[in-house]
Amino acid sequence: MPWPLNIDPQQILLHWMNLAILAGGLYFLLYKPVKEFMAKREAYYKELDGQAQDKLARAEELKAEYQAKLDGAGEEIRQARARAQQSAQQSAQEQLDQAQEQANQIVAHAHVEAERVREQGLRDSQQELRRLAEEATRRLALRQDPFDQFLDLAEGGKRNESR
Amino acid sequence: MKQHKKGLIVWAIVVLALLGGALLAGPSQRTETVQEAMRDAVLHNVNQIGLFGKAVNPGLISALLVTAALLLAAALIRVFAVPRFRYQPGKLQLLLEEAVGLFDRMAKNSSPHRFRFVGAYIFAAGAYIFVGTLFELLGVQAVTVHGHPVTLPAPLSDVNAAIALGTLSYLVILSGGVAANGLRGLGRTLKEFSLPISMSFRLFGALLSGLLVTELVYYYVSLSFVLPVVVGVLFTLLHALIQTYVLTMLTAMYFGEVSEPSPKKAKKASGGEKPELS
Repeated sequence: MPWPLNIDPQQILLHWMNLAILAGGLYFLLYKPVKEFMAKREAYYKELDGQAQDKLARAEELKAEYQAKLDGAGEEIRQARARAQQSAQQSAQEQLDQAQEQANQIVAHAHVEAERVREQGLRDSQQELRRLAEEATRRLALRQDPFDQFLDLAEGGKRNESR
Repeated sequence: MKQHKKGLIVWAIVVLALLGGALLAGPSQRTETVQEAMRDAVLHNVNQIGLFGKAVNPGLISALLVTAALLLAAALIRVFAVPRFRYQPGKLQLLLEEAVGLFDRMAKNSSPHRFRFVGAYIFAAGAYIFVGTLFELLGVQAVTVHGHPVTLPAPLSDVNAAIALGTLSYLVILSGGVAANGLRGLGRTLKEFSLPISMSFRLFGALLSGLLVTELVYYYVSLSFVLPVVVGVLFTLLHALIQTYVLTMLTAMYFGEVSEPSPKKAKKASGGEKPELS
């Protein structure tokens, strides 16, 4: 008995075979290679994205590190400034002490010198006094006539004027 | 501007000459009435073509030609185009990637648990329906076993081709159900027993209606001007797109439905957590 609508099982099987060949052929020739390529490209861009993320993370780390260093540098600068200030103060104090010592030495030396000058003056004045005393003694001992004395003194005055 | 006018005039003269020639030549000697032509377009039991000693419907010859053309094109693309694919695609590469991506996405969205096999199948089925439907526009001629010339129709306007594609799609769905859920998947698929019939006859009806309208239009010479542009080209293009979308979408959806893991199995696989469907 023939099938209605001219349905032919043999032709349906031939169509199945045809579709199976087509499906297999298109899968291996087109679908699979194109999908593989698309997957490869996706992986490539994912890798690029991953690398970019890594670089970004590293850059963030570096930024944080340098920020910490900058903060540390500020502190370091402050410490260095304090050290320099302290050192300058110390140096100034040393110079002041040194100057004070020198001044003390100068004053001491001046005292010694003054003492020496005073003693020298004292010695000189004592010698002068001794000499004057001796002179006076000698004069008293060899007392002359007042007229002669007067003449001697006058001559002495003239001698002084002629000089 | 003058050259354009001259060209327009020449074109109009050629068209009018062809029209006059067609009208003067009169209709060719018909071997069949319009009723017979319509009946044969549906049943294909008169104008059969010999294939390896057996008379077959012209639709089978069309199907074989479409398959050969598609495989040849695929082989040429595989040899010449695919090795030159670049990460920044050109026009052909974009077209191919879009075609593959379209069916791949459709499979993933409709059947998230198992989509590799159904993706490859709906890609082939979609290409076959689309190219096969457009094939009738070429008007490839063949000789029947009775010695008459016949224009090869779209493969799916043959009921055998439509039944073959519908039932094969059903078998693909069945295989997905069995592979994913065993007997439960078999039951789920058999529950949709009307699916092969509905898919087959939907395809057959849609393609046949286009064929009948085209046959009717071309049967009468007076209808053969301007009208075929709309009926033949636009309707065929629409048919091609719509039928491709409908069958592939239905196949992917039913495949996804029957291959979806049962709640117990999914719970066991995910260790008590909800299955991730993305």
